[in-house]
Amino acid sequence: MEKKTNPVVSGVKFLGNDLREIGTTFKEGDWKTRLSYLIMGFGPLSRGQLVKGLSYLLMEVLFFVYMVCFGWKYFSKFTTLGTVETTKQHRVTVYGDNSFLILLFGLLTIIAVLALIFLWRLNVAENRKEELLLKSGKTLPSNKKVLGSLLDANFDKTLLALPVTGVFVFTVLPILFMICVAFTNYDANHQSPTNLFTWVGLDNFANLLNFGSSGFALTFFKVLGWTLVWALFATFTSYFLGMAVAILINKKGIRFKKLWRTILVMTIAVPQFVSLLYISKMFAADGLVNSYLMKWGWIRTAIPFWTDANLARVMIILINIWIGIPYMMLIATGLLMNIPEDMYESARIDGASPFAMFRYITLPYMLFVTGPFLLTQFTGNLNNFNVIYLLTQGKPQSIALSDNAGQTDLLVTWLYKMTVNDTNYKMAAVIGIMVFIVTAVISLVVYGMLPSVKSEEDFQ
Amino acid sequence: MNNKSENFASMKRKQRIGNAFCYALLVLISVIWLFPFVGLLLQSFRSYATEYGGMVNYLVPKNFSLDNYRFLFTGETNFLRWYGNTVVIAIFVSIGQTIFVLCVSYALSRMRFKGRDFLMRFWLILGMFPGFLTLICLYFLLKQMGLTQAGAVPGLILVAVASSGMGYYVCKGYFDTLPMALDEAARLDGASRARIFFELTIPLAKPIIIYTALVAFMAPWCDFIMASYIAFGHDSSYNVAVAMQRWVFTNDYQGYFTRFCAGGVLVAVPVTLLFMFLQKYYVEGVTGGAVKG
Amino acid sequence: MKNLSKVLMGGMVATLIASTTVMADTEVKIWVADATVEFTKEKAEAFLAENYPDYSVMVEAVGEGDAAQNMLTDVEAGADIYIFAQDQMSRLVSAGALEEVAPDNVPVVTESNDAGSVSAAMVGDVMYAYPVTSDNGYFLYYDKSVVTDPTSLEAVLADCEAAGKSFYMEINSGWYQTAYFFGAGAQLTYDTDDQGNFTACNTGYASEQGLVALKEMIEVASSPAFVNGSSVGSATNIGAIVDGTWDATSAKEVLGENYACAKLPSFTGADGATYQLSGFGGFKLLGVKPQEDEAKLEVCDALAAYLSSGEVQAARYDAVAWGPSNLEAQKSEAVQADEALSALAEQLAYTIPQGQYPGDYWTLATGLGDSIIAGELTAETSDEDLMAALQEFENTCISYAE
Repeated sequence: MEKKTNPVVSGVKFLGNDLREIGTTFKEGDWKTRLSYLIMGFGPLSRGQLVKGLSYLLMEVLFFVYMVCFGWKYFSKFTTLGTVETTKQHRVTVYGDNSFLILLFGLLTIIAVLALIFLWRLNVAENRKEELLLKSGKTLPSNKKVLGSLLDANFDKTLLALPVTGVFVFTVLPILFMICVAFTNYDANHQSPTNLFTWVGLDNFANLLNFGSSGFALTFFKVLGWTLVWALFATFTSYFLGMAVAILINKKGIRFKKLWRTILVMTIAVPQFVSLLYISKMFAADGLVNSYLMKWGWIRTAIPFWTDANLARVMIILINIWIGIPYMMLIATGLLMNIPEDMYESARIDGASPFAMFRYITLPYMLFVTGPFLLTQFTGNLNNFNVIYLLTQGKPQSIALSDNAGQTDLLVTWLYKMTVNDTNYKMAAVIGIMVFIVTAVISLVVYGMLPSVKSEEDFQ
Repeated sequence: MNNKSENFASMKRKQRIGNAFCYALLVLISVIWLFPFVGLLLQSFRSYATEYGGMVNYLVPKNFSLDNYRFLFTGETNFLRWYGNTVVIAIFVSIGQTIFVLCVSYALSRMRFKGRDFLMRFWLILGMFPGFLTLICLYFLLKQMGLTQAGAVPGLILVAVASSGMGYYVCKGYFDTLPMALDEAARLDGASRARIFFELTIPLAKPIIIYTALVAFMAPWCDFIMASYIAFGHDSSYNVAVAMQRWVFTNDYQGYFTRFCAGGVLVAVPVTLLFMFLQKYYVEGVTGGAVKG
Repeated sequence: MKNLSKVLMGGMVATLIASTTVMADTEVKIWVADATVEFTKEKAEAFLAENYPDYSVMVEAVGEGDAAQNMLTDVEAGADIYIFAQDQMSRLVSAGALEEVAPDNVPVVTESNDAGSVSAAMVGDVMYAYPVTSDNGYFLYYDKSVVTDPTSLEAVLADCEAAGKSFYMEINSGWYQTAYFFGAGAQLTYDTDDQGNFTACNTGYASEQGLVALKEMIEVASSPAFVNGSSVGSATNIGAIVDGTWDATSAKEVLGENYACAKLPSFTGADGATYQLSGFGGFKLLGVKPQEDEAKLEVCDALAAYLSSGEVQAARYDAVAWGPSNLEAQKSEAVQADEALSALAEQLAYTIPQGQYPGDYWTLATGLGDSIIAGELTAETSDEDLMAALQEFENTCISYAE
């Protein structure tokens, strides 16, 4: 780890150095270099570096084409998100500004500008590098070599180009967009293309923390509470029971090990939308389970599996075990074999009970090895959409909860309902940011406490 | 001597009782685990003609028939089309994701470059945002490219593949365990990075490639959220999950429950068989992933 | 000059955007429920072939609930003509997903359809949709061999309990719940302006009548025979079910020769008086999406008018048994003889035509219903607490109109 420095101070210092270097490059550079400040890649091109020069030039041309044909018209309205209302001309609809696209492509344009500045800086550095190389009497690498390096020394750029672009377009840009949405009034009454939406500052966050009857706070904290409880139970029940089942199957003298495992992993193989939907119907008020229990005379009235809030929560956790055990069983089976047999042997000679052996040998080892895994499981469960949605869709609702939230809703299913059913995008965005904060805080705190991490010098 | 053998006998007995208990437990677990699948299978064979297709409160149908399967195959719905869409999506996503993941994993595991740490940390942070947050944005992005509704199938493939580089953890973890010495020897012989990647690393990575491809292949079968959001209003672009969840969730489809079961069986069987067939690699992948975190 | 540049711009945009959009200009996209896809396609194709041969139709199976939701997600990708249940109306209008009915068509629609459906098609003073059915209300289906007296709720429940059968009613829905509240005499309606914004809420839920209704719901929910639900296909043990005409075929299938239907029963309230269950008389409407192309708008208007005309409504009844809103079609012998529609017509006398309600009302009502079913509100809950819950409910209802 590097020494801790004030990021602001080091940032300013870095910027200062950078500006100075840009100045030096200009002052000491020849006319080719100086022209490159305007026409990117001119220097490399005129020095015979066709590949590099053309790439820079192409980027600059592309940027300006983008700006003129596309980017500018969105970017120029970014501060208001559009002002032209949709109108009717003799029954024909003439759509006005589309706030959604203005926000989306305005953002893209800002990023494009930043990217161009970055490329421009690389272009300046490239000129400097080339000049210094030539001055010291060396020759520049041939174009073939430059291209060839993309398969060798610069192979990482080749490999990462598409994946990084993909993540940028389909993850980074949308997330930035949604973060922006949290500061607008984009909801059912302000929907593109018919209606405009605009910036509202922190209004939505104020709404989230408003404990009054029109605010989100009461419901938000209740849903958050259940989300945390659920993630905790879902993670640890599956973890310990999965381990127990693995130990059970691995036990000496138990035969057909493969058969037992195969039966269990069926739940991983069968798509959840089939199995969980069937199970949710099984436990309906007049479903299979209740009907048979009544037929056999075990109960007189139906057990409210899904309509009683607490029972529904318990059911979700239990059914999640049905999914979670096999997964953990597979993992534990592999790991348990790694524990040296002689450790158990010597414990047995000391007269340790099976439970004591589990408590003092198996568990500490497992916890040590699977610490980070448990953490990812936990954060995964915070956002475990399928189990909740396929079983209850967040139901039952209650007069104690507002804004379409149900008693078994996790933040993420609530967010989904806001997006799809209520088109309340602004609050969905706020909730999304909250989920991020919760996940990040828990990850950071727990991560620091993990024993297996402390003993490693690097975090990968 | 005598004492010892008695002891041994009692231990044996104890073990036998213990094992019997274990077997009982395992049988019970198996019953619980298999019950929903058996129920699903039985319902799928319920006769539509005599017992209708709604939900019922008994497990074993009174009359068995292939009515529900016949319904799916005789063109009354687009079932075959939906199924075909899902297969196409699953295959392309599987190939695309595997390629992306391999590229990223190799670069991050084997090469040291400027911005590597930043990239890994940045992607880790990105992963903390909930997935469905960006639903609306993805929809309109794809719409700009003409990849919604009629173009939803390629659109869904694109979305699933594009961001898949972020899921490199398991694969990179596997690459980290391959000895660096092999690479270094090859480089001394003058092999380029690209050659090492294609001719050395990839052949060695067969288990993890199969794991990645398998996991990627299975996911689209269960995707009803993203797929329904992107394909809405265009029946011939639906996948099986989108089309069939309507049979359970929407009131327009009365008496479709047994048909849902039949469709569910048709979805589950091939995926399950494939999974069972490649189970070994799956176990290797998840175990490795769990330890690496 | 202006036109020229418009044409040029249009051409450029058209070439930029994928060719599908260009084709869509002469393609009218229609969304209807799965059961009526074939019917609608046949009718629409015949109509266009005769009157607008340059245009074609594309009919997709999108149910009434999904249609509204999808229209709200993306109006541009939505259908040009779609059928929706009227509770979605105000949302659709304020999101700009409904075009006003062509002025020429308004008098025809007003004259030929029943008064309830016409008022359902209006927001404020503007008509935004074409009525297609008047059957979006509910009544009682029951098993003749189980229920002997369908006129009394207590008797229905007792019969179901005795036979080990269930009584289904979706009391956690704002739509079915009103059967109790309106029945006991509490009211809840909203006024809107022409743009679909709510201007006033007329409610009396927090009252003696509201209390009677709430207590009755609690009472029903506590019966062992009670199951919350309103879909024949997912009900496994029907003694009686409160449901609508759209499930008539399923109900006949499931109940077989014991199939019977009737208006909703009456109940004896906690105050000893007898009340008839009420509810909404609802309607299905056909809407046209706002168009950017005048020629296409004309085609859509004409097609929508045709698809909601008496002739097509009657044919639709023959094909899928949807009860018409058209006065002529209602008089046809087949419609008159329909058992389910007769039960509905009988019930209609006790209902109010469903007006516009804010989307939030439905989720609020679900919360109230779920609280009853989950036992958060029970027979033991004191009158003060029940009244407080009603007051809270009423306040929230009012807040939607502010």
